[in-house]
Amino acid sequence: MTSHLKHTNDTELQILLCGDEDSDEYRRTAAHVETCEACQKRLDTVAGPTQLDAETRELLSDYPWEALSNSRTGFQGTDGLPDQAESLTFLNPPSHPEMLGRLGRYEIERMIGSGGMGLVLKAFDTELNRPVAIKVLAQHLAHSGAARQRFARESRAVAAVVHEHVVAIHNVEADDQNPFLVMQYVAGESLQARVDREGPLDAKEVMRIGIQAASGLAAAHEQGVIHRDVKPANILLEQGVERILLTDFGLARTVDDASLTHTGIIAGTPHYMSPEQANGDTIDQRTDLFSLGSVLYFMATGRPPFRAERAMGVLNRVCHDTHRPVWQVNSDIPDDLSDIIDRLLEKKASRRFASAVEVRESLVRLLARTQQHGTRHRNRVKSFVRQRPFLSSGAIVCLASVIVAGFMFIPSSVERTRFRSIQPTEPVAPDNNISLAQQDQAIAAESAVYSATAQEISARLQQLEATSNAAQFAQPASDGFWQDSASFKVRLDQLERDTFRDSSISSTKEER
Amino acid sequence: MKSPVPDTRNSLILRLPDKHDVEAWDQFVSIYEPLVYRLARSKGLQDADAREVVQEVLVSVSRAIEQWEFDPERGRFRDWLFRIARNLMIKFMTRRKHRPIGTGDSGIAQMLEQHADPVSEEESERFDLEYRREVFRWAAEQVQEQVKERTWQAFWLSSIEGHQTEDVALKLEMSVGAIHIARSRIRSRLREAIKTLEQDNTENISSHNAR
Repeated sequence: MTSHLKHTNDTELQILLCGDEDSDEYRRTAAHVETCEACQKRLDTVAGPTQLDAETRELLSDYPWEALSNSRTGFQGTDGLPDQAESLTFLNPPSHPEMLGRLGRYEIERMIGSGGMGLVLKAFDTELNRPVAIKVLAQHLAHSGAARQRFARESRAVAAVVHEHVVAIHNVEADDQNPFLVMQYVAGESLQARVDREGPLDAKEVMRIGIQAASGLAAAHEQGVIHRDVKPANILLEQGVERILLTDFGLARTVDDASLTHTGIIAGTPHYMSPEQANGDTIDQRTDLFSLGSVLYFMATGRPPFRAERAMGVLNRVCHDTHRPVWQVNSDIPDDLSDIIDRLLEKKASRRFASAVEVRESLVRLLARTQQHGTRHRNRVKSFVRQRPFLSSGAIVCLASVIVAGFMFIPSSVERTRFRSIQPTEPVAPDNNISLAQQDQAIAAESAVYSATAQEISARLQQLEATSNAAQFAQPASDGFWQDSASFKVRLDQLERDTFRDSSISSTKEER
Repeated sequence: MKSPVPDTRNSLILRLPDKHDVEAWDQFVSIYEPLVYRLARSKGLQDADAREVVQEVLVSVSRAIEQWEFDPERGRFRDWLFRIARNLMIKFMTRRKHRPIGTGDSGIAQMLEQHADPVSEEESERFDLEYRREVFRWAAEQVQEQVKERTWQAFWLSSIEGHQTEDVALKLEMSVGAIHIARSRIRSRLREAIKTLEQDNTENISSHNAR
């Protein structure tokens, strides 16, 4: 029955084993082999020894597939997030059909977002009749004592930062299963969304947002809180009001630490990370200044300073490459602003501004100057020189000869004019600053009224820490081999030290 | 203010500048997570505690990566990674019976160097069996994603569940010949997938030298 077709050759057999099942050549070859026992035998031989089937059967026929998902602890970034239905199982049934569910006194309206650390929900506080945002620690992290503790510790630190440009923390609930954080709900969009939609912002807007972000950071730094994840997505632009608020203080990165996602895949974007963060070095508040510099860069140019195809590539560039100055990318940005960004993006923390306060002051001065005197653009000359070096050098020679000629006739007047034009003007206090401050005070006063007292939050957090300790050291049924987790950890730590101290010896010896 | 917690996760990324090393880490995690978890559960630990063990082991191994430097003597990152993890687990499983670790003596170093440690033989055999099971499970998941569902079913029903080829053909509405092709196809692919995890130093030393 196969007489009308000739037998397959080795290449065709390889197509059956490795090729695309939808391709013509696959189908053509399969049509013959399906009905040709000789070719099936050859295919079988080429595919490898049949013992493999036996071994596969032996190993996999009773594999406990259902335990597989339990074992996943979040080390591998590719496992993805749980889908919404599954991730909302901790909610109580809603008391209103339009709501998703209830969490204590909060009616959950919808999911705003989800990230490596958990979910953000929009909710309604039924006692105080106001919308709130709720951040719930991810389920897989809620199991980890370390993550819960860290979550609590950081929440407490952030709750202490009360500032008009920082999203206020209203409450922390140490719910038995899922700890969560109740925050001020900000109607509006993120800076990321704004720039994605409208492209780069104009220089004054960049400065205005930069000033507010810097003052929010200054308030946090004063309390000893480092943000660690300053990026456009964490800067909210309030609808209708010219105000920005920083969110996700310290939490995202911290909980990432706790979730121990020591993986090649980064949750979220690495584009705004500082070199010291990327290197895993010790960080201080100046890490936030670098990230702020990246955010200003993003606002001014529509893209982050360091880009690469892969996260690793970005981090390598953050550490080793020099960014392209803002003035080269967007000639509308004044030099002084470009220079401020350059200084924020210094690889060495010691070469950046010393504090967020200093950044804020520089930006305020620059904004005032810009409003009074307009902007300076040496950059046009610079970029012209860069783009057309040959032409420019000719121009410079010409200019030089004109100047030399000028000196011969009217030297003093030219000198004076040139210097005056470059000299910076004295900073003048911006007149719109007062109204902004007043507005800020009013908002701060309002949010203080809403906030739960610091002691109340603190007490809840202590309770949360206490429960997580208890959970962490709960005794499992053990056979004395694994004993309890506490001593297990001690031993594992020791073992680890020993193993890795000697790993060079052992690995060389074990080399085949 | 100084933060006490450097971002170890990111440092790991930078220490693995080679794309293949990152893939190796991901493979490693997808094999070791269920492996350690199952071993821990089989020792009587409850779900949450077993997860904790998984985390501890992976953290320990990830810290060790700081000591990883390419050296032709050591072979490729993947082999090194799997080797230290295996040592760590077996020694841990073995040690507990005798004395608590923590004396810091050279006993561990010696044990790590020995292939056939009489004390750990039972545990190391058990470990290797469970390890191989995870390798096959991992390979099966990879292959399943690469082929059509029906092809996979044909293989699984006949080769693993041991149904008659004719019955499977009838059930899946395929010809008997097509079932044979499917089985060969999957076997060949499984073999390839498993091969990527097996040690093959010669090939990879050259690829590492290239960077």
